[in-house]
Amino acid sequence: MSLFSALSVSASGMAAQRARAALLVENIANSETTRTPDGGPYRRKDAIFTSDDVGSAFGSELDAQLGGDRLTGVKVSGISVDNSAPEKRYLPGHPDADADGYVTIPKVNAAEDMVDLMSANRSYQANVSAMSAVKDMIQKSIDLLR
Amino acid sequence: MIDALTDSLEQYMNVVSLRQKLVTSNIANADTPGYRAQDLDFQASFQSALDGGTPQPAEVTGLATRNDGNNVDLDREARLLAENAMRFSAASTLMKSQLNTIKEAIQGGKS
Repeated sequence: MSLFSALSVSASGMAAQRARAALLVENIANSETTRTPDGGPYRRKDAIFTSDDVGSAFGSELDAQLGGDRLTGVKVSGISVDNSAPEKRYLPGHPDADADGYVTIPKVNAAEDMVDLMSANRSYQANVSAMSAVKDMIQKSIDLLR
Repeated sequence: MIDALTDSLEQYMNVVSLRQKLVTSNIANADTPGYRAQDLDFQASFQSALDGGTPQPAEVTGLATRNDGNNVDLDREARLLAENAMRFSAASTLMKSQLNTIKEAIQGGKS
């Protein structure tokens, strides 16, 4: 039972929240984008989180070899793309306007993305605090040897 | 290992670190749909560890479940994170003073 695997769990949480924040920022940046490589307007993206055994780090591999418990981290298992119909805005002079003068605009709600971004930020900070607390505990154990 | 007290302290630190690992898992999965918070009954786990058993983590009951099936309460986890860190700190301080006492005995009172 080593505490080092707890560091991997917090790191997986930080990585997942960072990936989510990156997608949310992408949504906000592209809230007016009418052209994409796939054609059509930009579509809102969001990260799908799934629980995952942390297995790559040395500490948890050692734990597994010693018959220790495997801990549950988190990973981004996929990216969900919002495929609902985009909004139409009447802009006759726009280069992407259709015959009737309507332009399809991405269905991105900036307020929703900002709130999700704050939530991702808060969760990231929680993981940082957890990692810092575990790090102090490991340091205390090492200090016993002094 | 050396005497009964250091043995008990070792078990205590083991249970506290296991609980801390569960807390970090809960925090990492605070936004995972369907994840259920895990924790252990501290008293029972410590008692079973002293008797040579292994602590069994279990799902936490009585927490509000959100629409996505997740029931992690970040404030609860933050409290447990701080509590475990302090418990561990107290145990390691006690352990250190116990080890220092033994060291002093080995050195025959000479510093």
